[in-house]
Amino acid sequence: MPKVTIDGNVIEYEGREKLLQLCLDDGVELPHFCYHPSMSVPANCRQCLVEVGMPVKNRETGALEVDENGDPVIRFFPKLQTGCSMDVSDGMVVKTHRTSDLVKRAQKDNLEFLLVNHPLDCPICDQAGHCPLQIQAYKYGPEGSRFEFRKVKKPKRVKLGPRVMLDAERCINCTRCVRFTDEISKSHQLTIIARGVKNYPMTPPGMEFDDPYSMNTTDICPVGALTPANTRFQARQWEMAPTPSITTTNAKGANCFYWTRDNLIMKITPRQNLQVNEYWLPDEDRLVLDQFNNNRPEGPQVRADGGLQASTWDAATAAAADLLDAVDGSEILFVGSAYATVEDNYLLTKLASALGAATPVYLSHVETGHGDDWLRTDDRTPNTQGCERLGLTRTDAATLQAQLEEGAIKLVYVLEDDLVASGLAAGALDGVSVILHHYNTTNATLPAADVALPAAMVVETVGTFVSEDGHAQRVRPAKAIKGINRTLMMETGKSRTDMHGTPFDRWHNESHQVDCQPSWETLPAIAALLGHPMSYKGPKQIMAEVAANHDAFAGATYDAMGLEGVRLEEIGEAV
Amino acid sequence: MAADITKELSPLPDRTPEPAFSADELVWTAAEQEQMEVYKKRYPTNDGAIMRGLWLAQDKYGWLPPEVIRLVAETLEVPYAQVYGVATFYTQYFKERKGKYVLDVCTCFSCQVCGGYDMLHHLEEKLEIHVGETTEDGLFTLQEAECLGACGSAPMLQITNGSYLHNLTTKKLDTLIDGLREGKRVPFVSVTLPQDADDLDGNRRSDVKATDTYHAPPVAKTVK
Ligand code: SF4
Ligand code: FES
Ligand code: FES
Repeated sequence: MPKVTIDGNVIEYEGREKLLQLCLDDGVELPHFCYHPSMSVPANCRQCLVEVGMPVKNRETGALEVDENGDPVIRFFPKLQTGCSMDVSDGMVVKTHRTSDLVKRAQKDNLEFLLVNHPLDCPICDQAGHCPLQIQAYKYGPEGSRFEFRKVKKPKRVKLGPRVMLDAERCINCTRCVRFTDEISKSHQLTIIARGVKNYPMTPPGMEFDDPYSMNTTDICPVGALTPANTRFQARQWEMAPTPSITTTNAKGANCFYWTRDNLIMKITPRQNLQVNEYWLPDEDRLVLDQFNNNRPEGPQVRADGGLQASTWDAATAAAADLLDAVDGSEILFVGSAYATVEDNYLLTKLASALGAATPVYLSHVETGHGDDWLRTDDRTPNTQGCERLGLTRTDAATLQAQLEEGAIKLVYVLEDDLVASGLAAGALDGVSVILHHYNTTNATLPAADVALPAAMVVETVGTFVSEDGHAQRVRPAKAIKGINRTLMMETGKSRTDMHGTPFDRWHNESHQVDCQPSWETLPAIAALLGHPMSYKGPKQIMAEVAANHDAFAGATYDAMGLEGVRLEEIGEAV
Repeated sequence: MAADITKELSPLPDRTPEPAFSADELVWTAAEQEQMEVYKKRYPTNDGAIMRGLWLAQDKYGWLPPEVIRLVAETLEVPYAQVYGVATFYTQYFKERKGKYVLDVCTCFSCQVCGGYDMLHHLEEKLEIHVGETTEDGLFTLQEAECLGACGSAPMLQITNGSYLHNLTTKKLDTLIDGLREGKRVPFVSVTLPQDADDLDGNRRSDVKATDTYHAPPVAKTVK
């Protein structure tokens, strides 16, 4: 295999690689700003300069020339080269800042230049704490600047589009944002305008930066020039703890981090998964903070004296069990949910069959025309495939309504969905008992519920979702709920050790904890009261059982899914 | 509740400009359209033709308001944003309406020591405008330019991205302005370098009639 020598270490590589990418892949850190693995290489920031040389060959014989010690003679390029645009070739010798004072000096001087007109307003900048410019200036930059004249003024606090803020003074003109709209999202909405010290990215007149993927530019902007408008000034980076998970806005299963502070979800950012969403996340996936933080229920409720009254979990599960016990299995309609995890839906099917009820149905939430063949899908739920693979029957509000009007159904058990908001006439539930697992107090089916059991959302639970493409992925709790659950405690990622016991430790306070339960905890509790014990140690064991018993889930165990998921065998019919 | 310390947002610069040209005006003649096709064919990809296209449009409309830039983009089938970026990069593309004659007076180093600012100030007084402004009759726009590469015949100016006027004196400027006011352009005079005086018949530019030779340059008032 061809080899390159970087700072004296020999690295083997395959195929045509760029030097910077090779270094990154091999864990050799090299400072850089403009390079992004998925976009073209303009080599305009000049931060990745290195010394590059090639062994000298004898022109006639083609043999390598050696010095008196028998080492090959290396001829270095007279000037430093940008690693991002340099194709590696066999025998190449590279010196980074670790072995070359010249490179060290170049990095320092380059940073001094990049900072000439940079406002250095890190204390009020949302990017501070995760800013490549800040980090690299700290690691490789000069201690001060020789440029002591007045800095160039440019537009600040510009709302470039509905979701992206621009501070042009902070921009280092790496053109990543422009290349993103040109090469990745193809909306062509941005360009660098003007020239020299006056330039910055902008939309042309009469155009707004409203690309449905616009917020990705805020992730790849290596400075604080582009920041998300919705989370502006909400939290400092170091106050939040990230949890690797997936988004549930649609059926793509895009990988993300949920950033939590004090048990509130403060922001959602993409997490790299080359099989699913690469480096990107649609804007719609990031704008759903509200549903996790606001209008959350305060514990279970049971209908008494004509209204829903606050209750305890024990009393509420008992009430649910009583309602189920009072009717015949054939009179119960179980409604699963494409919003809920595979585990929860699976337990629901088990409960249904234990009680002799029909296989649960689930409502499909397809919005034709919403998808774009990329990371947005027509399906607005995360787990339609999971429901299909479990054998749930797809239905819609009209069918449900007709079924209820027939009068044979006495009890509807709704798992994490909203029948009324989906189009079922509220009156159709008159005279029918309703048990409802719900996320938000805005659930329109809630007024018809007899027992309301708050359910943990994707950011609070452990479970599996199967994307439209059959990618099975598990989620982890990003924030704590009120009840104590061993599995959730174990699954909650620990804070960074340097935050342990500080106000930024995610365990530090109990504020904003929602009194809800994962449905995989609620359902077995109800089943047990009905004499159908389901003894699982937790969702991991449930999923192992699903994977073992259902061919459609073969291989989807927690260990196999890990952080990047498992691609399941295709099943016959998809959405 | 903490005090609201957020500052007001800046609006996007010129986001919704009133169009200067109506839809009826925003069409190419058959000849222009044909010319655009020629430009397109000249380059491997259409974005190579952006500068040519903008130039043609500026010739036609006098300047490049957003709707004209968009017309160029549509004609060349390249993104509007990209064409806008190119148009803003070069000062020779006029993004605002200018006078009929745009006078770019060089005030870069060589011209400056030879009286570039004296020329500029003379024009400011004569035209009764400040640099960067356009006369009320819409005839002249006065601008400062950086080195236009004719330092040997400093001070100098350029007329509307076109011909140069070398070895400026206030008298020359008066003749220029008075002439242009009457619609008369001063003929272009090429300056011949001393070393060319004997060769080439003393005229490097075979395409121009009038030539002048190198003079010892004047010295700016402030330098004297
Ligand atoms: S705004 Fe950010 S991403 Fe765009 S050019 Fe400037 S520094 Fe680069
Ligand atoms: S990363 Fe190589 S020049 Fe910017
Ligand atoms: S300085 Fe004026 S032309 Fe060079």
